[in-house]
Amino acid sequence: MLNNVQGPQVEIPLGVRLRLARAAVQAVADEAGADILHIKGDAVDSELRPLVRPGTDVDILTRPAHVGRLDAALRAHGWAVYSTFTYGSPFGHAQTYTHEQWGYLDLHRFFPGIEADASGAFESLWSGRMIHHIAGVDGAVPAVSAQAVILLLNDARSRRSADAAALWRSVGADRRSEIRSLVGRLHAEVAFAAATGDLESQRGASSYPLWKVITTGGSRAAEWRARVRAAPTLWQAARIVARAPAVNVEHLAHHHGRPPTRREIVVAFFARPVTALAQFIAGLRARR
Amino acid sequence: MTGIQRAPGIAWVIAESTAYVARIPSGPIVVLTGPAAVIWDELMTDADATTLAARVSARMSDVPPDADATVKQMVEHLLAEGLLDQSRADQPD
Repeated sequence: MLNNVQGPQVEIPLGVRLRLARAAVQAVADEAGADILHIKGDAVDSELRPLVRPGTDVDILTRPAHVGRLDAALRAHGWAVYSTFTYGSPFGHAQTYTHEQWGYLDLHRFFPGIEADASGAFESLWSGRMIHHIAGVDGAVPAVSAQAVILLLNDARSRRSADAAALWRSVGADRRSEIRSLVGRLHAEVAFAAATGDLESQRGASSYPLWKVITTGGSRAAEWRARVRAAPTLWQAARIVARAPAVNVEHLAHHHGRPPTRREIVVAFFARPVTALAQFIAGLRARR
Repeated sequence: MTGIQRAPGIAWVIAESTAYVARIPSGPIVVLTGPAAVIWDELMTDADATTLAARVSARMSDVPPDADATVKQMVEHLLAEGLLDQSRADQPD
């Protein structure tokens, strides 16, 4: 009748494990004094996704100023960094952790598509937060309209245009008005347009090429060019350029199932220009 | 044994007649099945331990004659494990 999973092994359903994981992460955040919003997966309101998709990991958005303290607290409670902000995604928006008991956690310090200052954007979402009961623990989620914005931007980035279209069709006029208003406050017009199939209305925007590449596909070189053009400051653009030719050491480690050797890193470093050159040549041929 | 609640730092989910009870933030997860899951479910909705055995028996089939003693024993076990807490419910707000 009573089984401890650290003794005899018992299969825990993924959906159950993720809800308990959210409660565990909330406890860590509370202890660290870090503000977090639970996003995506089973934190989504049933108005937006009647069929709950638990996902495969826990996603949270944290106040940017609290990233350091939350990171330290997570590590202290057994969460190991799986991929860093730098190498986790080209946006540099999330850091992934893994825990032997809870599985995977994506800690977002901003959300791709939101071009407003990250601290101000978080405050906008935080000010409209709702209480969400998770496995007997109280956490916070964005308001329903803000959840819709996050889902739409996420669908755009993940090229799930059908999901975005279905969500946009499902919401009423009042909700659409709230969503558009929030999109304006978050300066997320370009990604929102990409999500709702209206990207061409944003042709003059600096981030248009980036979302064009993201939603329609393109070479790695084209994506990096678009990313540099979309960077709001020269300093950030310089950082993106500096990162472009680097080898993603974490990706190599996950690929090999162990830390890569120095030789493997060197081989990967020289393989990247070859890949880029091949894409460049393919691009030239395609233009003919 | 009058009022019993979950202990601080405990999260729980009930799914398909099973109670998954976890110490947070670090685990482990304890799995309760059968009458133990029903006991947990009942206590999470009503902390009154004086009526617990009757409520649990009402939800079970083939209730044994010593059901009351079994429920009491299981609750004492959950208290000893630190998953339930008797003192909090007995304290005035």
